[in-house]
Amino acid sequence: MATLRLHSLTATSEKIPTSPFVPSSRVLSASFHCNEKRVSRRMTINAVGGGAKYKGTQMREKQLSEMIEKKVTEAKQVCEGDETSDECRVAWDEVEEVSQAKANLRLRLEVEKKDPLESFCLENPETEECKVYDD
Amino acid sequence: MAVCPVYTTQSLNSTCSVSTPSKTHFSSHHNHLVFYRTSKRTSKRGGSSSCVITCSAGDSQTVVIGLAADSGCGKSTFMRRLTSVFGGAAEPPKGGNPDSNTLISDMTTVICLDDYHSLDRTGRKEKGVTALDPRANDFDLMYEQVKALKSGIAVDKPIYNHVSGLLDPPELIKPPKILVIEGLHPMFDERVRDLLDFSIYLDISNEVKFAWKIQRDMAERGHSLESIKASIEARKPDFDAFIDPQKQYADAVIEVLPTQLIPDDNEGKVLRVRLIMKEGVEHFSPVYLFDEGSTISWIPCGRKLTCSYPGIKFSYGPDTYFGHEVSVLEMDGQFDRLDELIYVESHLSNLSTKFYGEVTQQMLKHADFPGSNNGTGLFQTIVGLKIRDLYEQITASKTAAPLQATKA
Repeated sequence: MATLRLHSLTATSEKIPTSPFVPSSRVLSASFHCNEKRVSRRMTINAVGGGAKYKGTQMREKQLSEMIEKKVTEAKQVCEGDETSDECRVAWDEVEEVSQAKANLRLRLEVEKKDPLESFCLENPETEECKVYDD
Repeated sequence: MAVCPVYTTQSLNSTCSVSTPSKTHFSSHHNHLVFYRTSKRTSKRGGSSSCVITCSAGDSQTVVIGLAADSGCGKSTFMRRLTSVFGGAAEPPKGGNPDSNTLISDMTTVICLDDYHSLDRTGRKEKGVTALDPRANDFDLMYEQVKALKSGIAVDKPIYNHVSGLLDPPELIKPPKILVIEGLHPMFDERVRDLLDFSIYLDISNEVKFAWKIQRDMAERGHSLESIKASIEARKPDFDAFIDPQKQYADAVIEVLPTQLIPDDNEGKVLRVRLIMKEGVEHFSPVYLFDEGSTISWIPCGRKLTCSYPGIKFSYGPDTYFGHEVSVLEMDGQFDRLDELIYVESHLSNLSTKFYGEVTQQMLKHADFPGSNNGTGLFQTIVGLKIRDLYEQITASKTAAPLQATKA
């Protein structure tokens, strides 16, 4: 049926580039094989623990991912005419902003190992955002 | 007997702000009583109707640190290392706006300067300015609020929401012992610069920036090598014009470059990190290797210490940087084992550690943080200890002054 395989992203001697702003080499990925259908790596990070617990965080992750895709497309279109135009620079700046926001969220989940909404949801458990994301 | 003027604010359904008393009202002779009441009546996101009555002396002890870098406000690792040096974990304000960029621990509060954007995402698009452009930021407000916090007065600081791209209702920030302002422009405005007790600039070279952004973004749908490259290129003119020039004002610059240990390495995996420390900064004594003021080149790996490829290389020496005298400590390579780290620590001087092995201990505490095996983690940790030392010196000198005054 479904088998869970956990393996480290890093090979034995090779280390992932160590940037202060990106998750370290300890990221684990899990892949599910269920009837030959492969689930994306992004989703399965939650299975490892320290992932998004609340619906609100999950929504933000999704929203940011979609924005990245959308804004990259927009930037490419805007810059087709003139790469040095203000519009072009602003468009790529937006791409950078949302890419960084997504990375920060991911980093927070990795490093803090708890959901950023934790303290908010303790005081507001009834809101939509604080529904617990169940696997 | 000391008389303390009390400022009260009305709190209806709006957030209240406290006016700044002029510094001349207070002298260091007076005791200061702080009457402080907050009403946490709201659980609404972003809306706070708290009321603060503060009375503070002009010589309040908030130490202000500025940190400049181009990676959003998630310099989590640097901030976490810094707050960890003081003890305690930094967390977002409890119960407030979940998209707040602020981090608070016992001793420190970290403010993201993006909160001082005068234009939100839509506004910037309309005006055709990037977030890097000074025109997108309200330096008057930044100055007022940092000044207020430094004087011991709480402020209602706006929140820039990076998810929605909008400016959210403000959050209350109480004056901490140590205030860190991080972002793109901590040293851009001269008035803000003058408020900083210490400033750091994180200078990432283009090659390393490219390698890091590839690692950061390649997993995202929508991104490709081309889009990552295009984004960096497009932001470069504004970055060079507005952000980069700030490094001349920094007391410490952490420069991150590709390694020189591996010929033709373009993967950005092994890093060469330089800690450029300005000489003559009050309360700050640069770290040195072996002999202060001399020029040293040191490869610790050899008979006593075995390192794996590509090893570790240190250098230290005096230099000039934008016309200032500086001392530069440089590390190229990476740590693979604990004993390498402690060996290196034992040969560095002026670390401002409280006990032997404190740097190693701090690095181990956060071994899972990015940069823990190279100069970025090492120098961030060292800068954290230097800031602690600076804070203690400033605090000691401030408490000493009133005693002297009463003796006179």
